[in-house]
Amino acid sequence: MTDIALELRGITKQFAGHVAVRDLSLDVPRGAVYGLLGPNGAGKTTTIRMILNVIAPDSGTVNVLGAPNTSPGLLDRLGYLPEERGLYKKMQVRRLLRFLAELKGVDGKTADRRITEWLERLSLRSPEKDWGLSKVDELSRGMQQKVQFIGTLLHDPDVVILDEPFSGLDPINAQALKDTVVELKHRNKTVVFSTHLMDNAERLCDSVCIIARGDKVLDGTVAGVKSEHHKRNVALALAGAPSDGVSAILADHALVSRMDDNNRYFEIELTAGGDAQLLLQRLIGAGAQVQRFELIQPSLHQIFLDRVGAGSVEEGMTGHG
Amino acid sequence: MAKLWAVTKREFLERVRTKWFIIVTIFGPVFFAVIMVLPAYLSVRGMKDVKVSDIRIIDATGTGLGDRVATRLGGGPMGDANVTQVVVVAPDKMAAAESLATHDVMNKLRRGYLVLDSLTIQQQKASYAGRNASSLNEIQIIEQALRSAILCQRLEREGLDPKRVEKLTQVRVNMSAERITDKGRGGSGIGSAIFGFVIAFLLYMMIVLYGQNILRGVLEEKTTRVAEVIVSSVSTDVLLAGKVIGVGAVGLLQQAVWLLSATAFYHFREPIFVKMGMPAAPAISLPQVPPMLIAALVLFFILGYGLYAALFAAVGAMVSSQEDANQAAQPVVMLLVFSIIFAQPVMLNPTSRLAEIVSWIPFSAPVIMPMRMSAIQIPWYELAATLTGVAVTCALCVWLSARIYRVGLLMYGKRPSMRELARWIRQA
Repeated sequence: MTDIALELRGITKQFAGHVAVRDLSLDVPRGAVYGLLGPNGAGKTTTIRMILNVIAPDSGTVNVLGAPNTSPGLLDRLGYLPEERGLYKKMQVRRLLRFLAELKGVDGKTADRRITEWLERLSLRSPEKDWGLSKVDELSRGMQQKVQFIGTLLHDPDVVILDEPFSGLDPINAQALKDTVVELKHRNKTVVFSTHLMDNAERLCDSVCIIARGDKVLDGTVAGVKSEHHKRNVALALAGAPSDGVSAILADHALVSRMDDNNRYFEIELTAGGDAQLLLQRLIGAGAQVQRFELIQPSLHQIFLDRVGAGSVEEGMTGHG
Repeated sequence: MAKLWAVTKREFLERVRTKWFIIVTIFGPVFFAVIMVLPAYLSVRGMKDVKVSDIRIIDATGTGLGDRVATRLGGGPMGDANVTQVVVVAPDKMAAAESLATHDVMNKLRRGYLVLDSLTIQQQKASYAGRNASSLNEIQIIEQALRSAILCQRLEREGLDPKRVEKLTQVRVNMSAERITDKGRGGSGIGSAIFGFVIAFLLYMMIVLYGQNILRGVLEEKTTRVAEVIVSSVSTDVLLAGKVIGVGAVGLLQQAVWLLSATAFYHFREPIFVKMGMPAAPAISLPQVPPMLIAALVLFFILGYGLYAALFAAVGAMVSSQEDANQAAQPVVMLLVFSIIFAQPVMLNPTSRLAEIVSWIPFSAPVIMPMRMSAIQIPWYELAATLTGVAVTCALCVWLSARIYRVGLLMYGKRPSMRELARWIRQA
């Protein structure tokens, strides 16, 4: 028994001359919720597909739960929710789920029992209506998402890999997903998910890895990453729109080195010699109605922008995983 | 193995459950039976419906020949002879009777008239005029009745009992053709031709219906994006194998139902035919097929199906839309059409050079060789060589398709060029 759930060592994948993932190494601790962050086209999906042995890396090794991911039967301990979701449309939900469970080596009886549990849990089965007996294409989109989610977890995997799990989810399903991730963590399962939504990652993850353009930018625990990037950041909220005087102070490069302007909410990074107290005094002096003034750690979003750069995000928008 | 079974089971059950499968499997034989029986039935009905009895016979022979013809046209001695008018006239009143008859035909009182005179007795000459004079079928019936009547009259004149004459002149011929091979007589020629054709046709149907079915299945997995979930649990090779085996089993089940119902129909054909008022079809003795030959047939069937199924699966993995699929499948379909257009020439002349060559080419051999095998004797070494060729080609196609499938299943967008395809095969 190893404490590392996933161990990637120097994996590289090239497609038609362009490098999707370059020499990527990372460790995912067992029982952790791990975020794979990066803009679109950074190589997240390619990395995930290599972990699942859907595609083979050009070089490097992937170990899952201490064994190479090519070992027979190992994939049965992984659960995977791909970014592009889909199900056999003409199949009955129950039969489909049983099939997915069988592919993971679960026997029919156990599968049937778990399917019933899950359908009830995600309110797809009630005394009045059992959606399990319907065909997939009779279900609404939200319900299909639930079915897909059940399919990912039906075999009670030790490691769950979710590729952009929040994209396209309605708020109710997004909440259900978060609850489930937390519950999986409590049961000491490892959850890896990719996302470009930093807020989700910050709230859910124990550890993260940021990749961009196929390269690893940084990785570590969320707390570690934050303290490493701990500069003197200030969260500032104003009651009204900033006056010209206030704007001028915030634009003063002697005091403020960087600022994320959200009109009434600002994330401010102070310069090396900048004093937070001085900033507060000057703001009040300029007549600003301060609602919040707090010394904070930078958000993942801020770190992400810092390290990857806005340009890379824009550029990456057109690419794919 | 458990996963291969899971995939195979799904492919099989999901197809067998469809309405389409149930309809085709059950109504297919009914449809074929109708196609087989209907023409025969209609032509028998057509013969009965022919209205040749409502003609007028102008009899100037003075021998009662007209009455004999009328009896025959009216459906034999038991039929209603009164429907056919017989006008007995003296030879010098012939012209008047004829012009009156012409008038009646023009006024649609009669369909036509038959003129019998002394020449009919002496030189077997008679004349007929009527609205139906261009209907070969009807004229043939009148001619037949006349010939039979004259024959009877002559036999009676030679002193034979009229009842015996009636009996003796009713003759039906039923000729069978039998095939002779090195090993002696072996079933009817028609039987083995039908047998060979049935085997070729079944395989062709199997490939057309189920090869395309595989293509659609692969395409569905791509377009619904379910493929990625599946291949994160099983290897593409297992998925491909399960698909080919599962769909093949569906095809076999369907053909078994068809064959069984055809056999049953053949068994009970007599009551059915009789009920429809047709003479029972002659028994076709099916050729005695030695077990070795059956083994070869089964091998051709399986290898042929496997070969095309793999190709269709590769096509499905190559494309992302139905329109692209139709285009990309053309080369494969052409290979298939190529085999079937040679089916008829081969059946007519199974010993020709053309037949030999077409039955050797691995892509047409599974369809053509069974036809030749049941028509003529193929030396065992030729069979073995052809089978080896098909097996090697099948293995090659499966290998290539598996590689294309592995890469193509997660590729979307433009259909790959030949160069890209070659790269897929290398990199897989």
